[in-house]
Amino acid sequence: MSSYTIPVGPLHVALEEPMYFRVEAQGEMVVGLDITAGHVHRGIEALAMTRNFYQNITLTERLCSLCSNSHPSTYCMALENLASIRIPERAEYLRVIADEIKRVASNLFNCAILGHIIGFDSLFKHVMETREIMQDVKETIYGNRMDLAANCIGGVKYDLDEERSKYLWQQMERMKKHLDEIYALYCKNSFVRLRTEGVGVLSKEDALRFAVVGPVARGSGIDYDVRQKSPYAAYDRLDFEVQTENGGDVLCRAKVRLREAQQAVRLIQQCVTDMPAGPTCIDTPPEIPAGEAIAKSEAPRGELIYYLRTDGSDIPERLKWRVPSYMNWDALKSMLVGDKISDIALIVNSIDPCISCTER
Amino acid sequence: MQDVISQVKEALDGALSPSVAIDWKCDFKGVKTGWCKLPESDQLLAAASAISTMGGRLSTVTAYLAEKYRKQGRREIAYHFDLDGTTLTLTIELPLEKARVASLTPLFRNADWNEREFMELYDIDVIGHPDPRRLFIDETIEPAVFDGLIPYSTLINGASSKTLWEAVMAQNSKEQGK
Repeated sequence: MSSYTIPVGPLHVALEEPMYFRVEAQGEMVVGLDITAGHVHRGIEALAMTRNFYQNITLTERLCSLCSNSHPSTYCMALENLASIRIPERAEYLRVIADEIKRVASNLFNCAILGHIIGFDSLFKHVMETREIMQDVKETIYGNRMDLAANCIGGVKYDLDEERSKYLWQQMERMKKHLDEIYALYCKNSFVRLRTEGVGVLSKEDALRFAVVGPVARGSGIDYDVRQKSPYAAYDRLDFEVQTENGGDVLCRAKVRLREAQQAVRLIQQCVTDMPAGPTCIDTPPEIPAGEAIAKSEAPRGELIYYLRTDGSDIPERLKWRVPSYMNWDALKSMLVGDKISDIALIVNSIDPCISCTER
Repeated sequence: MQDVISQVKEALDGALSPSVAIDWKCDFKGVKTGWCKLPESDQLLAAASAISTMGGRLSTVTAYLAEKYRKQGRREIAYHFDLDGTTLTLTIELPLEKARVASLTPLFRNADWNEREFMELYDIDVIGHPDPRRLFIDETIEPAVFDGLIPYSTLINGASSKTLWEAVMAQNSKEQGK
Protein backbone atom coordinates (compact mmCIF):
# COMPACT_ATOMS: atom_id res chain seq x y z
CA MET A 1 0.00 0.00 0.00
CA SER A 2 1.38 3.42 -0.90
CA SER A 3 1.87 5.94 1.88
CA TYR A 4 0.90 9.60 1.91
CA THR A 5 1.62 12.62 4.08
CA ILE A 6 -0.89 14.54 6.17
CA PRO A 7 -0.07 17.89 7.75
CA VAL A 8 -1.56 18.31 11.23
CA GLY A 9 -1.15 21.79 12.65
CA PRO A 10 0.48 24.08 13.44
CA LEU A 11 -3.01 25.53 13.87
CA HIS A 12 -5.54 22.78 14.40
CA VAL A 13 -8.92 22.64 16.08
CA ALA A 14 -7.82 19.92 18.48
CA LEU A 15 -4.48 21.49 19.45
CA GLU A 16 -4.45 24.01 22.27
CA GLU A 17 -1.22 25.58 21.04
CA PRO A 18 0.65 25.50 17.72
CA MET A 19 2.79 22.50 16.77
CA TYR A 20 3.29 21.02 13.32
CA PHE A 21 3.05 17.26 12.82
CA ARG A 22 4.03 15.76 9.51
CA VAL A 23 2.23 12.45 9.60
CA GLU A 24 3.05 9.59 7.23
CA ALA A 25 0.04 7.36 6.74
CA GLN A 26 -0.88 4.15 4.99
CA GLY A 27 -4.63 3.78 4.64
CA GLU A 28 -5.98 4.82 8.04
CA MET A 29 -2.77 3.96 9.91
CA VAL A 30 -0.03 6.30 11.04
CA VAL A 31 3.34 4.87 9.95
CA GLY A 32 5.67 7.80 10.63
CA LEU A 33 5.85 11.16 12.33
CA ASP A 34 8.02 14.26 12.20
CA ILE A 35 7.52 17.17 14.59
CA THR A 36 8.39 20.80 13.81
CA ALA A 37 8.44 23.06 16.82
CA GLY A 38 9.21 26.73 17.37
CA HIS A 39 5.93 28.50 16.66
CA VAL A 40 5.67 30.09 20.10
CA HIS A 41 9.38 30.35 20.92
CA ARG A 42 9.77 33.59 22.90
CA GLY A 43 13.42 33.60 23.97
CA ILE A 44 12.51 33.68 27.68
CA GLU A 45 15.76 31.97 28.69
CA ALA A 46 17.66 34.85 27.11
CA LEU A 47 15.42 37.36 28.89
CA ALA A 48 16.07 35.61 32.22
CA MET A 49 19.77 36.41 31.86
CA THR A 50 19.01 40.12 31.61
CA ARG A 51 16.75 40.34 34.66
CA ASN A 52 17.61 40.21 38.35
CA PHE A 53 16.72 37.37 40.71
CA TYR A 54 13.48 39.04 41.86
CA GLN A 55 12.29 39.97 38.36
CA ASN A 56 12.81 36.37 37.26
CA ILE A 57 10.23 35.13 39.79
CA THR A 58 7.62 37.12 37.87
CA LEU A 59 9.06 36.12 34.49
CA THR A 60 9.17 32.37 35.16
CA GLU A 61 5.57 32.41 36.40
CA ARG A 62 4.57 33.58 32.93
CA LEU A 63 6.13 30.66 31.06
CA CYS A 64 2.97 28.64 31.15
CA SER A 65 -0.50 29.07 32.60
CA LEU A 66 -1.35 25.57 33.78
CA CYS A 67 1.84 24.84 35.72
CA SER A 68 2.64 28.48 36.43
CA ASN A 69 3.32 27.92 40.13
CA SER A 70 5.85 25.13 39.53
CA HIS A 71 8.20 27.46 37.65
CA PRO A 72 8.71 30.23 40.23
CA SER A 73 8.70 27.78 43.15
CA THR A 74 11.40 25.60 41.53
CA TYR A 75 13.38 28.66 40.49
CA CYS A 76 13.24 29.95 44.10
CA MET A 77 14.34 26.49 45.30
CA ALA A 78 17.40 26.73 43.03
CA LEU A 79 18.31 30.10 44.55
CA GLU A 80 17.70 28.76 48.06
CA ASN A 81 19.83 25.66 47.39
CA LEU A 82 22.63 27.88 46.12
CA ALA A 83 22.49 30.20 49.13
CA SER A 84 21.77 27.38 51.67
CA ILE A 85 18.56 29.11 52.70
CA ARG A 86 16.19 27.01 54.76
CA ILE A 87 12.65 28.28 54.31
CA PRO A 88 10.29 28.35 57.34
CA GLU A 89 8.30 25.16 57.94
CA ARG A 90 4.98 26.92 57.42
CA ALA A 91 6.19 28.15 54.03
CA GLU A 92 6.99 24.55 53.02
CA TYR A 93 3.36 23.57 53.59
CA LEU A 94 2.06 26.68 51.84
CA ARG A 95 4.21 25.85 48.79
CA VAL A 96 2.69 22.34 48.70
CA ILE A 97 -0.82 23.80 48.90
CA ALA A 98 -0.17 26.14 45.95
CA ASP A 99 1.41 23.37 43.86
CA GLU A 100 -1.34 20.84 44.58
CA ILE A 101 -4.15 23.31 43.87
CA LYS A 102 -2.55 23.90 40.47
CA ARG A 103 -2.12 20.15 39.92
CA VAL A 104 -5.84 19.45 40.41
CA ALA A 105 -6.85 22.24 38.03
CA SER A 106 -4.25 21.25 35.43
CA ASN A 107 -5.03 17.52 35.47
CA LEU A 108 -8.76 18.14 35.26
CA PHE A 109 -8.28 20.46 32.30
CA ASN A 110 -6.45 17.73 30.39
CA CYS A 111 -9.02 15.06 31.24
CA ALA A 112 -11.83 17.43 30.23
CA ILE A 113 -10.21 17.98 26.83
CA LEU A 114 -10.08 14.20 26.42
CA GLY A 115 -13.88 14.17 26.78
CA HIS A 116 -14.21 16.93 24.18
CA ILE A 117 -11.94 15.14 21.66
CA ILE A 118 -13.90 11.88 21.86
CA GLY A 119 -17.14 13.81 21.33
CA PHE A 120 -18.40 13.36 24.90
CA ASP A 121 -19.06 17.02 25.49
CA SER A 122 -21.29 16.56 28.53
CA LEU A 123 -18.29 14.90 30.19
CA PHE A 124 -16.11 17.83 29.12
CA LYS A 125 -18.57 20.27 30.71
CA HIS A 126 -18.89 18.21 33.89
CA VAL A 127 -15.12 18.01 34.42
CA MET A 128 -14.64 21.70 33.63
CA GLU A 129 -17.44 22.60 36.04
CA THR A 130 -15.67 20.62 38.77
CA ARG A 131 -12.41 22.34 37.87
CA GLU A 132 -14.20 25.64 38.36
CA ILE A 133 -14.25 24.94 42.12
CA MET A 134 -10.45 24.99 42.01
CA GLN A 135 -10.46 28.18 39.95
CA ASP A 136 -12.65 29.81 42.61
CA VAL A 137 -10.28 28.55 45.31
CA LYS A 138 -7.34 30.15 43.49
CA GLU A 139 -9.21 33.41 43.06
CA THR A 140 -10.30 33.48 46.70
CA ILE A 141 -6.91 32.65 48.22
CA TYR A 142 -4.47 34.21 45.78
CA GLY A 143 -6.61 36.80 43.99
CA ASN A 144 -5.88 35.26 40.58
CA ARG A 145 -7.32 32.34 38.66
CA MET A 146 -4.06 31.23 36.99
CA ASP A 147 -0.86 32.95 38.16
CA LEU A 148 -0.83 32.72 41.94
CA ALA A 149 2.19 34.96 42.70
CA ALA A 150 2.67 32.78 45.77
CA ASN A 151 6.46 32.44 45.86
CA CYS A 152 9.37 34.55 46.96
CA ILE A 153 13.01 33.79 47.71
CA GLY A 154 13.01 32.21 51.16
CA GLY A 155 9.33 31.34 51.42
CA VAL A 156 5.92 32.43 50.19
CA LYS A 157 4.05 35.69 49.81
CA TYR A 158 0.70 34.52 51.15
CA ASP A 159 -0.74 33.01 54.30
CA LEU A 160 -3.93 31.23 55.29
CA ASP A 161 -5.84 32.63 58.24
CA GLU A 162 -8.44 30.55 60.05
CA GLU A 163 -11.27 31.66 57.79
CA ARG A 164 -9.40 30.87 54.56
CA SER A 165 -8.12 27.53 55.93
CA LYS A 166 -11.71 26.54 56.73
CA TYR A 167 -12.87 27.64 53.29
CA LEU A 168 -10.07 25.66 51.60
CA TRP A 169 -10.91 22.56 53.63
CA GLN A 170 -14.61 22.82 52.74
CA GLN A 171 -13.90 23.24 49.04
CA MET A 172 -11.65 20.16 49.09
CA GLU A 173 -14.50 18.21 50.73
CA ARG A 174 -16.73 19.35 47.84
CA MET A 175 -14.10 18.21 45.34
CA LYS A 176 -13.88 14.68 46.73
CA LYS A 177 -17.37 13.63 45.69
CA HIS A 178 -17.01 15.09 42.20
CA LEU A 179 -13.58 13.55 41.68
CA ASP A 180 -14.80 10.12 42.79
CA GLU A 181 -17.67 10.34 40.31
CA ILE A 182 -15.42 11.47 37.48
CA TYR A 183 -12.83 8.78 38.15
CA ALA A 184 -15.52 6.07 38.16
CA LEU A 185 -16.87 7.43 34.90
CA TYR A 186 -13.50 7.30 33.15
CA CYS A 187 -12.93 3.76 34.44
CA LYS A 188 -16.35 2.30 33.69
CA ASN A 189 -18.08 4.24 30.91
CA SER A 190 -18.08 2.00 27.85
CA PHE A 191 -17.80 4.89 25.37
CA VAL A 192 -14.77 6.41 27.14
CA ARG A 193 -13.12 3.00 27.34
CA LEU A 194 -13.89 2.13 23.72
CA ARG A 195 -12.14 5.30 22.52
CA THR A 196 -9.17 5.31 24.91
CA GLU A 197 -8.28 1.76 25.92
CA GLY A 198 -5.40 0.30 23.93
CA VAL A 199 -4.99 3.61 22.06
CA GLY A 200 -1.62 5.41 21.87
CA VAL A 201 0.25 2.72 23.77
CA LEU A 202 3.69 3.57 25.11
CA SER A 203 5.42 0.46 26.42
CA LYS A 204 7.49 0.63 29.59
CA GLU A 205 10.63 -0.07 27.52
CA ASP A 206 9.88 2.84 25.20
CA ALA A 207 8.95 5.08 28.13
CA LEU A 208 12.41 4.43 29.59
CA ARG A 209 14.08 4.84 26.20
CA PHE A 210 12.43 8.22 25.54
CA ALA A 211 13.04 9.23 29.19
CA VAL A 212 9.47 10.46 29.61
CA VAL A 213 8.35 11.76 32.98
CA GLY A 214 5.20 12.51 34.98
CA PRO A 215 1.82 10.88 34.31
CA VAL A 216 3.07 9.76 30.86
CA ALA A 217 5.84 7.70 32.53
CA ARG A 218 3.66 6.56 35.43
CA GLY A 219 0.92 5.51 32.99
CA SER A 220 3.50 3.13 31.48
CA GLY A 221 4.42 1.60 34.83
CA ILE A 222 7.41 3.75 35.80
CA ASP A 223 7.27 4.36 39.53
CA TYR A 224 8.96 7.77 39.61
CA ASP A 225 7.71 10.94 41.27
CA VAL A 226 10.07 13.77 42.21
CA ARG A 227 8.03 14.41 45.36
CA GLN A 228 9.24 11.03 46.66
CA LYS A 229 12.58 10.59 44.89
CA SER A 230 13.95 14.09 45.64
CA PRO A 231 11.66 15.45 48.35
CA TYR A 232 11.25 19.21 48.66
CA ALA A 233 8.91 21.61 50.50
CA ALA A 234 6.84 19.54 52.99
CA TYR A 235 6.47 16.39 50.87
CA ASP A 236 8.86 14.41 53.10
CA ARG A 237 6.34 14.79 55.93
CA LEU A 238 3.17 14.10 53.96
CA ASP A 239 1.50 10.78 53.35
CA PHE A 240 0.95 9.93 49.68
CA GLU A 241 1.57 7.15 47.19
CA VAL A 242 2.99 7.33 43.68
CA GLN A 243 0.17 6.54 41.23
CA THR A 244 0.98 4.15 38.41
CA GLU A 245 -0.78 2.15 35.71
CA ASN A 246 0.73 -0.52 33.50
CA GLY A 247 -1.24 -0.31 30.25
CA GLY A 248 0.59 2.68 28.78
CA ASP A 249 -2.45 3.84 26.81
CA VAL A 250 -4.51 7.04 26.72
CA LEU A 251 -6.86 5.74 29.43
CA CYS A 252 -4.00 4.81 31.78
CA ARG A 253 -2.54 8.31 31.53
CA ALA A 254 -5.96 9.84 32.26
CA LYS A 255 -6.49 7.50 35.24
CA VAL A 256 -3.11 8.45 36.71
CA ARG A 257 -3.96 12.16 36.35
CA LEU A 258 -7.36 11.74 37.97
CA ARG A 259 -5.98 9.72 40.88
CA GLU A 260 -3.25 12.33 41.34
CA ALA A 261 -5.97 14.99 41.49
CA GLN A 262 -7.79 12.96 44.16
CA GLN A 263 -4.53 12.57 46.06
CA ALA A 264 -3.74 16.28 45.71
CA VAL A 265 -7.01 17.11 47.46
CA ARG A 266 -5.99 14.86 50.37
CA LEU A 267 -2.51 16.44 50.42
CA ILE A 268 -4.04 19.92 50.63
CA GLN A 269 -6.18 18.81 53.56
CA GLN A 270 -3.15 17.23 55.27
CA CYS A 271 -1.30 20.53 54.90
CA VAL A 272 -4.20 22.54 56.35
CA THR A 273 -4.27 20.17 59.34
CA ASP A 274 -0.53 19.74 59.91
CA MET A 275 0.78 23.20 59.05
CA PRO A 276 2.55 24.74 62.05
CA ALA A 277 2.21 28.38 63.01
CA GLY A 278 5.13 30.66 62.29
CA PRO A 279 6.67 32.92 59.69
CA THR A 280 6.02 32.39 55.97
CA CYS A 281 9.31 33.79 54.73
CA ILE A 282 12.86 34.41 55.92
CA ASP A 283 13.22 37.80 57.57
CA THR A 284 16.56 38.85 56.07
CA PRO A 285 17.28 39.75 52.44
CA PRO A 286 18.80 36.73 50.69
CA GLU A 287 22.44 36.86 49.70
CA ILE A 288 23.06 34.81 46.59
CA PRO A 289 26.72 33.84 46.21
CA ALA A 290 28.53 32.85 43.01
CA GLY A 291 28.00 29.18 42.22
CA GLU A 292 25.66 26.69 40.62
CA ALA A 293 22.63 24.76 41.80
CA ILE A 294 19.96 22.33 40.68
CA ALA A 295 16.34 22.23 41.82
CA LYS A 296 13.67 19.74 40.82
CA SER A 297 9.96 19.49 41.40
CA GLU A 298 7.01 17.38 40.27
CA ALA A 299 4.96 19.74 38.12
CA PRO A 300 1.52 18.55 36.95
CA ARG A 301 3.16 17.15 33.78
CA GLY A 302 6.16 15.63 35.58
CA GLU A 303 9.73 16.39 36.53
CA LEU A 304 10.70 20.03 36.15
CA ILE A 305 14.40 20.78 36.53
CA TYR A 306 16.09 24.17 36.96
CA TYR A 307 19.81 24.81 36.63
CA LEU A 308 21.07 28.13 37.96
CA ARG A 309 24.54 29.55 37.61
CA THR A 310 25.51 32.82 39.32
CA ASP A 311 28.57 35.04 39.40
CA GLY A 312 27.95 37.01 42.60
CA SER A 313 25.87 39.71 40.87
CA ASP A 314 22.06 39.88 41.12
CA ILE A 315 21.54 38.61 37.55
CA PRO A 316 21.83 34.92 36.64
CA GLU A 317 24.86 34.05 34.57
CA ARG A 318 22.76 31.19 33.18
CA LEU A 319 19.27 30.01 34.00
CA LYS A 320 18.12 26.89 32.22
CA TRP A 321 15.02 24.84 32.80
CA ARG A 322 13.77 21.68 31.19
CA VAL A 323 10.05 21.12 31.32
CA PRO A 324 8.35 17.70 31.47
CA SER A 325 6.74 18.04 28.02
CA TYR A 326 10.22 18.30 26.45
CA MET A 327 10.81 14.53 26.23
CA ASN A 328 7.15 13.60 26.05
CA TRP A 329 6.84 15.12 22.56
CA ASP A 330 9.44 12.81 21.05
CA ALA A 331 7.69 9.78 22.60
CA LEU A 332 4.65 10.53 20.40
CA LYS A 333 6.61 8.78 17.65
CA SER A 334 6.17 5.57 19.60
CA MET A 335 2.56 6.27 20.65
CA LEU A 336 1.18 7.34 17.27
CA VAL A 337 2.76 4.83 14.92
CA GLY A 338 0.37 1.93 14.39
CA ASP A 339 -2.66 3.91 15.53
CA LYS A 340 -5.43 5.46 13.45
CA ILE A 341 -5.28 8.92 11.93
CA SER A 342 -8.55 9.73 13.69
CA ASP A 343 -6.84 9.19 17.07
CA ILE A 344 -3.96 11.63 16.49
CA ALA A 345 -5.56 14.51 18.43
CA LEU A 346 -6.56 12.17 21.27
CA ILE A 347 -3.06 10.73 21.61
CA VAL A 348 -1.35 14.12 21.39
CA ASN A 349 -3.66 15.40 24.14
CA SER A 350 -2.80 12.36 26.29
CA ILE A 351 0.75 13.62 26.87
CA ASP A 352 -0.88 16.81 28.25
CA PRO A 353 1.40 18.82 25.96
CA CYS A 354 2.55 22.26 26.92
CA ILE A 355 4.11 24.06 23.99
CA SER A 356 4.65 27.38 25.78
CA CYS A 357 6.66 25.49 28.40
CA THR A 358 8.60 23.46 25.85
CA GLU A 359 9.64 26.30 23.59
CA ARG A 360 10.07 29.01 26.22
CA MET B 1 22.89 -1.36 49.68
CA GLN B 2 25.74 0.56 48.17
CA ASP B 3 24.91 4.26 48.22
CA VAL B 4 24.79 6.37 45.11
CA ILE B 5 28.02 8.26 45.90
CA SER B 6 30.17 5.13 45.92
CA GLN B 7 28.30 3.71 42.92
CA VAL B 8 29.05 6.81 40.86
CA LYS B 9 32.67 6.86 41.99
CA GLU B 10 33.12 3.21 41.07
CA ALA B 11 31.45 3.68 37.68
CA LEU B 12 33.46 6.77 36.74
CA ASP B 13 36.72 5.33 38.08
CA GLY B 14 36.18 2.31 35.86
CA ALA B 15 35.50 4.46 32.81
CA LEU B 16 38.04 7.26 33.18
CA SER B 17 41.74 7.33 33.81
CA PRO B 18 42.99 9.08 35.86
CA SER B 19 40.00 9.21 38.16
CA VAL B 20 38.01 12.44 38.48
CA ALA B 21 36.91 14.31 41.59
CA ILE B 22 33.19 14.70 42.30
CA ASP B 23 31.93 17.37 44.64
CA TRP B 24 28.80 16.15 46.43
CA LYS B 25 26.30 18.47 48.06
CA CYS B 26 23.31 17.53 50.17
CA ASP B 27 20.32 19.80 50.83
CA PHE B 28 18.22 20.04 54.03
CA LYS B 29 16.02 17.17 52.82
CA GLY B 30 18.95 14.85 52.14
CA VAL B 31 18.72 15.21 48.34
CA LYS B 32 22.17 14.85 46.80
CA THR B 33 23.68 16.65 43.83
CA GLY B 34 27.07 15.71 42.41
CA TRP B 35 29.28 18.07 40.40
CA CYS B 36 32.13 16.82 38.28
CA LYS B 37 34.25 18.68 35.77
CA LEU B 38 35.83 16.34 33.25
CA PRO B 39 39.47 17.28 32.54
CA GLU B 40 39.07 16.50 28.82
CA SER B 41 35.91 17.00 26.76
CA ASP B 42 36.49 13.73 24.88
CA GLN B 43 35.98 11.86 28.18
CA LEU B 44 32.28 12.74 28.02
CA LEU B 45 31.17 9.69 26.04
CA ALA B 46 32.96 7.23 28.35
CA ALA B 47 31.59 8.96 31.47
CA ALA B 48 28.05 9.12 30.05
CA SER B 49 28.29 5.47 29.05
CA ALA B 50 29.19 4.52 32.63
CA ILE B 51 26.17 6.49 33.91
CA SER B 52 23.93 4.84 31.33
CA THR B 53 25.13 1.42 32.51
CA MET B 54 24.19 2.43 36.07
CA GLY B 55 20.63 3.08 34.87
CA GLY B 56 21.02 6.86 34.85
CA ARG B 57 18.71 9.10 32.86
CA LEU B 58 19.75 12.23 30.99
CA SER B 59 17.69 15.01 32.60
CA THR B 60 18.84 17.93 30.51
CA VAL B 61 21.86 19.67 29.03
CA THR B 62 22.90 23.29 29.64
CA ALA B 63 25.37 25.04 27.38
CA TYR B 64 26.51 28.47 28.53
CA LEU B 65 28.87 31.25 27.61
CA ALA B 66 29.43 33.88 30.28
CA GLU B 67 31.32 37.05 29.40
CA LYS B 68 34.31 35.96 31.49
CA TYR B 69 34.55 32.69 29.52
CA ARG B 70 34.36 34.58 26.24
CA LYS B 71 37.38 36.63 27.31
CA GLN B 72 39.21 33.43 28.20
CA GLY B 73 38.31 31.90 24.81
CA ARG B 74 36.35 29.00 26.28
CA ARG B 75 32.80 27.81 26.86
CA GLU B 76 31.18 25.03 28.88
CA ILE B 77 28.41 22.47 28.63
CA ALA B 78 26.82 20.88 31.71
CA TYR B 79 25.13 17.50 31.31
CA HIS B 80 22.66 16.76 34.10
CA PHE B 81 21.85 13.11 34.83
CA ASP B 82 19.24 11.67 37.16
CA LEU B 83 20.19 8.66 39.26
CA ASP B 84 16.90 7.73 40.92
CA GLY B 85 16.48 11.17 42.50
CA THR B 86 20.12 12.17 42.77
CA THR B 87 21.38 14.60 40.14
CA LEU B 88 24.89 14.29 38.76
CA THR B 89 26.23 17.12 36.59
CA LEU B 90 29.18 16.44 34.30
CA THR B 91 30.74 19.59 32.90
CA ILE B 92 33.04 19.80 29.93
CA GLU B 93 35.03 22.74 28.64
CA LEU B 94 35.20 23.55 24.93
CA PRO B 95 37.06 26.20 22.96
CA LEU B 96 35.13 29.33 22.04
CA GLU B 97 35.84 28.82 18.32
CA LYS B 98 35.23 25.54 16.46
CA ALA B 99 33.70 23.84 19.51
CA ARG B 100 32.86 20.20 18.85
CA VAL B 101 31.37 17.57 21.10
CA ALA B 102 30.26 13.98 20.61
CA SER B 103 26.53 13.28 20.48
CA LEU B 104 25.06 11.34 23.39
CA THR B 105 22.16 10.08 21.26
CA PRO B 106 23.62 6.54 20.94
CA LEU B 107 23.34 6.31 24.76
CA PHE B 108 20.37 8.54 25.55
CA ARG B 109 17.59 8.95 23.00
CA ASN B 110 16.44 12.21 24.64
CA ALA B 111 19.83 13.83 23.97
CA ASP B 112 18.43 14.46 20.47
CA TRP B 113 16.33 17.57 21.25
CA ASN B 114 18.78 18.83 23.90
CA GLU B 115 21.67 18.78 21.43
CA ARG B 116 19.62 20.31 18.61
CA GLU B 117 18.65 23.13 20.95
CA PHE B 118 22.16 24.03 22.09
CA MET B 119 23.44 23.76 18.51
CA GLU B 120 21.06 26.54 17.44
CA LEU B 121 21.79 28.72 20.49
CA TYR B 122 25.57 28.43 20.48
CA ASP B 123 28.32 27.88 17.94
CA ILE B 124 28.85 24.24 18.89
CA ASP B 125 28.96 21.28 16.50
CA VAL B 126 27.63 17.95 17.69
CA ILE B 127 29.46 15.07 16.08
CA GLY B 128 27.28 12.12 15.13
CA HIS B 129 23.90 13.73 15.77
CA PRO B 130 21.32 11.78 13.72
CA ASP B 131 19.16 14.80 12.86
CA PRO B 132 21.02 18.10 13.30
CA ARG B 133 18.18 20.37 12.11
CA ARG B 134 17.06 23.51 13.91
CA LEU B 135 14.71 22.67 16.79
CA PHE B 136 12.87 25.90 17.66
CA ILE B 137 14.52 28.78 15.82
CA ASP B 138 13.69 29.38 12.18
CA GLU B 139 16.38 28.74 9.56
CA THR B 140 16.16 32.38 8.41
CA ILE B 141 17.55 33.59 11.74
CA GLU B 142 21.32 33.68 12.00
CA PRO B 143 22.89 30.78 13.93
CA ALA B 144 24.32 30.78 17.46
CA VAL B 145 22.03 33.53 18.73
CA PHE B 146 23.20 33.20 22.35
CA ASP B 147 26.79 33.74 21.22
CA GLY B 148 25.97 37.07 19.59
CA LEU B 149 26.08 40.44 21.30
CA ILE B 150 22.75 41.48 19.78
CA PRO B 151 19.93 41.22 22.37
CA TYR B 152 18.12 38.00 21.67
CA SER B 153 14.71 39.66 21.92
CA THR B 154 15.52 41.78 18.86
CA LEU B 155 16.15 38.63 16.85
CA ILE B 156 12.76 37.16 17.52
CA ASN B 157 9.18 38.24 17.18
CA GLY B 158 9.21 39.61 20.73
CA ALA B 159 10.55 42.82 19.24
CA SER B 160 8.09 43.04 16.35
CA SER B 161 5.27 44.85 18.14
CA LYS B 162 7.64 47.62 19.30
CA THR B 163 9.12 47.91 15.81
CA LEU B 164 5.64 48.04 14.30
CA TRP B 165 4.51 50.68 16.81
CA GLU B 166 7.55 52.84 16.06
CA ALA B 167 6.91 52.50 12.32
CA VAL B 168 3.25 53.54 12.76
CA MET B 169 4.20 56.51 14.95
CA ALA B 170 6.89 57.60 12.49
CA GLN B 171 4.38 57.42 9.63
CA ASN B 172 1.79 59.38 11.65
CA SER B 173 4.19 62.17 12.51
CA LYS B 174 5.28 62.33 8.87
CA GLU B 175 1.66 62.70 7.74
CA GLN B 176 0.90 65.31 10.41
CA GLY B 177 3.95 67.27 9.30
CA LYS B 178 2.63 67.55 5.70
